[in-house]
Amino acid sequence: MSEHEQRTPVSLKGLPADDPHLQPLARRPHMVEQVITGLFIFGLLFTLLFAVAFVQNWAPWTLGATLGTGMSLFGIGIIAWGKYLMPRGPFVEERHDLASSDEEREAFTAAIVERGGGVIKRRKFLAGLLGTGVGAFSIVSLFPWVRSLGPMPKGTLFHTDWGKGSYLVDISGRRINVSDLTIGSLVTVFPEGMEHTDNGQAVDQTVLIRVTNQDFTTRKGRETWAPQGYVAYSKLCTHLGCPVGLYEQELELLVCPCHQSMFNVTNGAMPTFGPAPRPLPQLPLMVDSNGFLQSQSDFHEPVGPGFWERS
Amino acid sequence: MKLRHTPLLLIATALVAGPLLLFADAAGAGTSSSPAITYQTSRINAGTPNSTNVTKDPKTGAITSYGDSAITYTVPSPALNALGQSLYLQNCASCHGTEANGVPADGTQGAYPNLQGLGAATIDFWIASGRMPAADPRSVQAERRVPRLTDQQAVAISAWVNSLAPSYPAIPSVNVKDGNYSNGQALFALNCAACHTIEGAGDALAFDTYAPSLRHIPGYQIVEAIRSGPGNMPRFTGNLSDAQVRDIVKYVTSYVQHPQNPGGLGLGGLGPVAEGFVALLIGVGLLALAGYWVGERE
Amino acid sequence: MSTINTTRKSNPYGKVGQVINELDDRLGLAKGGRTLLDKVFPDHWSFMLGEIALYSFVVLLVTGIFLTLFYVPSSTLVVYHGAYLPLVGQKISQAYASSVDLSFAVRGGLLMRQMHHWACDIFVGGILVHMARVFFTGAFRKPREGNWTIGTTLLVLSIAEGFLGYSLPDDLVSGTGIRIAYSIIESVPVVGTYIAFFLFGGNFPGTVVLGRFFIIHVLLIPLVLLGLVGAHLFMLVQQKHTQFPGKGRTEKNVVGTPMYPVFMAKTTGFLFIVGGAIALLGAFAQINPIWQFGFYEPARISYAVQPDFYMGFLDGILRIWPAWQFNAFGHTIPLEVTLPTVVFPTILFALVYAWPTIERKYTGDNELHNLLDRPSFRPKRTAVGVTMFVFLATIFVGSSTDVIANFFKVSLNTVLVEMRVLTFVLPALAYPITLKICKEMQGFSGAGKRKTTNIVTRTEEGEYVATPAPVYVDDAHEELDALPVPTFVVEEDETMVSTGVRRAER
Repeated sequence: MSEHEQRTPVSLKGLPADDPHLQPLARRPHMVEQVITGLFIFGLLFTLLFAVAFVQNWAPWTLGATLGTGMSLFGIGIIAWGKYLMPRGPFVEERHDLASSDEEREAFTAAIVERGGGVIKRRKFLAGLLGTGVGAFSIVSLFPWVRSLGPMPKGTLFHTDWGKGSYLVDISGRRINVSDLTIGSLVTVFPEGMEHTDNGQAVDQTVLIRVTNQDFTTRKGRETWAPQGYVAYSKLCTHLGCPVGLYEQELELLVCPCHQSMFNVTNGAMPTFGPAPRPLPQLPLMVDSNGFLQSQSDFHEPVGPGFWERS
Repeated sequence: MKLRHTPLLLIATALVAGPLLLFADAAGAGTSSSPAITYQTSRINAGTPNSTNVTKDPKTGAITSYGDSAITYTVPSPALNALGQSLYLQNCASCHGTEANGVPADGTQGAYPNLQGLGAATIDFWIASGRMPAADPRSVQAERRVPRLTDQQAVAISAWVNSLAPSYPAIPSVNVKDGNYSNGQALFALNCAACHTIEGAGDALAFDTYAPSLRHIPGYQIVEAIRSGPGNMPRFTGNLSDAQVRDIVKYVTSYVQHPQNPGGLGLGGLGPVAEGFVALLIGVGLLALAGYWVGERE
Repeated sequence: MSTINTTRKSNPYGKVGQVINELDDRLGLAKGGRTLLDKVFPDHWSFMLGEIALYSFVVLLVTGIFLTLFYVPSSTLVVYHGAYLPLVGQKISQAYASSVDLSFAVRGGLLMRQMHHWACDIFVGGILVHMARVFFTGAFRKPREGNWTIGTTLLVLSIAEGFLGYSLPDDLVSGTGIRIAYSIIESVPVVGTYIAFFLFGGNFPGTVVLGRFFIIHVLLIPLVLLGLVGAHLFMLVQQKHTQFPGKGRTEKNVVGTPMYPVFMAKTTGFLFIVGGAIALLGAFAQINPIWQFGFYEPARISYAVQPDFYMGFLDGILRIWPAWQFNAFGHTIPLEVTLPTVVFPTILFALVYAWPTIERKYTGDNELHNLLDRPSFRPKRTAVGVTMFVFLATIFVGSSTDVIANFFKVSLNTVLVEMRVLTFVLPALAYPITLKICKEMQGFSGAGKRKTTNIVTRTEEGEYVATPAPVYVDDAHEELDALPVPTFVVEEDETMVSTGVRRAER
């Protein structure tokens, strides 16, 4: 060992070959070697099988099965080699102090403070201006990132496309007639012409439910809103905007599938359970001379979840 | 539950019992003494007979069937009435009364649903799906079971009950040959998935009700359920034509009941809940075990 | 040798030596390189958990690049004409169409999609178990607070990245998630509607959000993730890994296996195992079958829709939160949304970020720590961690109230109320129970260690006596004293050593 140390000035550590640290962990290294050989051979086979499966366009699961098995076998083999055949150790490494010496710290801090401080001390005014400029720049440069991305909130947050005389149509564009539905029926409706538009689907979507055969009053002041027992509510849940398509006709309950808010359809969709605090807005309906359903006006409040400007 | 939870339990009970009391009469105990609900739509080929799509008995002039190539509704023959009545009296009268009006022998009005005027398909659906005769009459929602009566017996009972107050829909048979899978998928997603889930697995609804799984239901019973709106399920009448219902049946009996699952095991069709379990328990779990093998214990 | 010398001694190691010489002439890598090769890694099994996350990230990158070659991030509607009949003829977005084509028409596409999704779940799961290990063993203490901060940021980013990723195919389930996300943004007081309109280019759904999600998911967040993972690993190398106290282990050393060749072998093997496991999952377990869900249209909805598990705690807390709102002076603050999804996560992650500072203030401990704690020896910290985990796990379970109600045939409403109760009860129970268990484990010696067998003998009077069995030579290996990593091996004879350690040529 000393020969090597004389030849090269760097201190090199050597260990005798029979040192217990260099011995494999396995008690029978030859057997482990054979097992690893088997693992590698099968890993290779499965990898090649992946190629065959791919070229021959076998079922999708075979691709993943062959690739996964091949990789896993290789991985197990490599780990077994490292764990059982390579020098078992353990080995040690000294941790040198992360921290620099006191002198080095002082020198470094001095360089920053005194060099920089010296520069700034003499030109305080310039430094102040520069600081202001950098600050302003960093704020102003954000403007395109924020404002240019989209329009100001307005419009469809507060109004839908329902208006005076809008016909109620289903998803195929067919107008709903008062003779169409029986008690306990439900259909999703849109203003005529809007059923395949983004806005029509996202904002105007409304559920139409027939609760009885006569004109129905859900709440005081809404005596004309539900002719012949047809009530219409915005389908957008007032909690987080999921479509409230789940209707239980015996319980007369609209249940939102997302977080299970429950709305009573006979009293203006007041929430009776779950996280939604606001009722579903009701669409005032009327019937034209041919029996087709129309809306009297837009909803009387914004549809959908709550937001700051909702009032 | 510890004693200190009593206030919370009381609040919980109040929260649950309150709404329940509001709907107690509706939740499983059947509708009160309101008149039987009659099917309604004037729309052609939407589950009701119309001047253009009926077949009448030449002797009596009664409607025997109606519909089109998509779905044909057959009114059960009056010849079955006698058999139907005797089967009814054996299996159903104890709850639904001898007049099928929901008044049992002790005379309690509205104790059980009034069966008159609901249409033959409704009666047939409840019996053929095994929900009736009810295993537990006091449960909130009857479960689908292996039917205790045969299909023919179900038709016979529905024949007799329907004869008391003839109504619609009649018993459907559906031919999916000309159906359209895409229409079916689109209609299913819009109308059915909200309760039955997009994979047709069914799930719990409000209180003790639930939407059943669609995995093992024959096509004609799907039509019966859609047209009659059993229990809490809405009745889809004039807003779905027979062709649309046929498309839904075609989609459900194929892709919903027999999903292809090319990606491997379907994991129950429960979505991210099952996937998360598999990823954490099997994925991270097995890999952590592998790490346990690789590393040291100390 | 301080002068630049053009004639250097030839490296005695032949061809390899020549290459090293050439590289060192240009890069000077011999000095630092040897330190790197000699680096010692402690090899406790719990230190492999971070590698689960690291290697699943590698799989994510590789599979993700494949997916970007096919996916089209556009809301433009096209008519589907492909292999899946229930979609044929429907107008769907190009994003959805390209995702369905990836699954059915691209060879290996479905495997890549599924591997990508499974790898994401395992990535976040790996981060969570790794984070738990770091927390419970106190590895976040000085000097490693920076790594804790980086790690928490990695967790937050990976959750966001996962959400963005599974929202890209524009299917019914993930589209519902985007709708909910929009409403959450909207609910922020004063600025919510502005941020929502800016981000989505208008009201929901708009036409730009998929493209924006795509670029954030594919470029922006991965860049930050790569940078942060690099910084995380760099700090790890710089500060060296922590280790458990034990034989020969002090605050001033690291005992374990050398980087080259042992640790490299183990870690490369682990990469293959992680990749292989993800491939096997991708083969045999279907995940996110978007074709079954159908296209997202805002009027459609499915029941039993939950987000991926790492978002589950938010879904759960949304369900159980009471219907509060603030409605006055012409303004609405939907507290039932803002509190659980904006305020609560902010407080939660602020707590996590601040934890090293909190613990330092509480214990008054400003020392450097390279040795880890056994969790039972720090009962309060362990109890806090377990309580937080139980709390998060309870609200996570709360996101599947409907599945629970359906499975156990209990009323949905009852399940929800129960969950509200359990959210308080279970963590309140977890803290004292954990504290007690830790204190008891400290009490008796040998806790957490491997059990030794006892030999039971019966005396003549009938008394049973148990004595520890002698440890056989073939049994658990007795650890040797640690030695510095050798540079070469001194041979007695000229034969090759069977251990695979290369014999040095002289």
